[in-house]
Amino acid sequence: MTAFGLAAIAMLAGIIPCGVVLCRGTLMEAVVAYEAISSIIVIVLALLAQGFQRPAEFEFPVILAVLMLGSGLVYIRALERWL
Amino acid sequence: MTARHVTADVLLALAVLVVLASCVGVLAMRGVYDKIHFLTPVSLVAPFLVAVAISVQMGLRENTSSSWLMLAFLVLSGPFLTHATLRAARIREKGDWRPGTRATGHGKGADGGENGGDQAGGGRADAGKESR
Repeated sequence: MTAFGLAAIAMLAGIIPCGVVLCRGTLMEAVVAYEAISSIIVIVLALLAQGFQRPAEFEFPVILAVLMLGSGLVYIRALERWL
Repeated sequence: MTARHVTADVLLALAVLVVLASCVGVLAMRGVYDKIHFLTPVSLVAPFLVAVAISVQMGLRENTSSSWLMLAFLVLSGPFLTHATLRAARIREKGDWRPGTRATGHGKGADGGENGGDQAGGGRADAGKESR
């Protein structure tokens, strides 16, 4: 396994503390944890695409990075108004 | 192992350290305002380090351009998301995001939701509850 694959696995460990906040924190703290997890997943997808030498799979992190803004704003807006 | 590989490995290790430290920070800090400070390293610094690592290892290739594109989207979206999150937190806490307005739960300020339209719409939920 290349260094990129190992880095992806190590970064996935960072989801655990964020998951704890997601489950046990307040609603707004959970949103922060959700955003952190989204960013980590974007990086992990890029690392895996590079680690397995599959250029086509670089589309996943790019698309997720784009969708992160839209989904995050919609979710926060709903949270701000109705939840 | 060439110098390129070593440099890429060091950059990747740095990115992993940044992410793990930020995640511990998100866990350890109290309150959304403190936790959100640790979002920037995850969504900006670590992707930058990873993009540089990929560039160093691969040179100018398709992977490199995609990783920089990913970084560009993350850099663009990060400040908007952070601002929106803090705004939502403040509205949920005080009923209005603007300083000086006290909208939560004390009747008067709750009109921020009524008059503020889009900008202070968050006051509505609380406003309805409190006026009853």
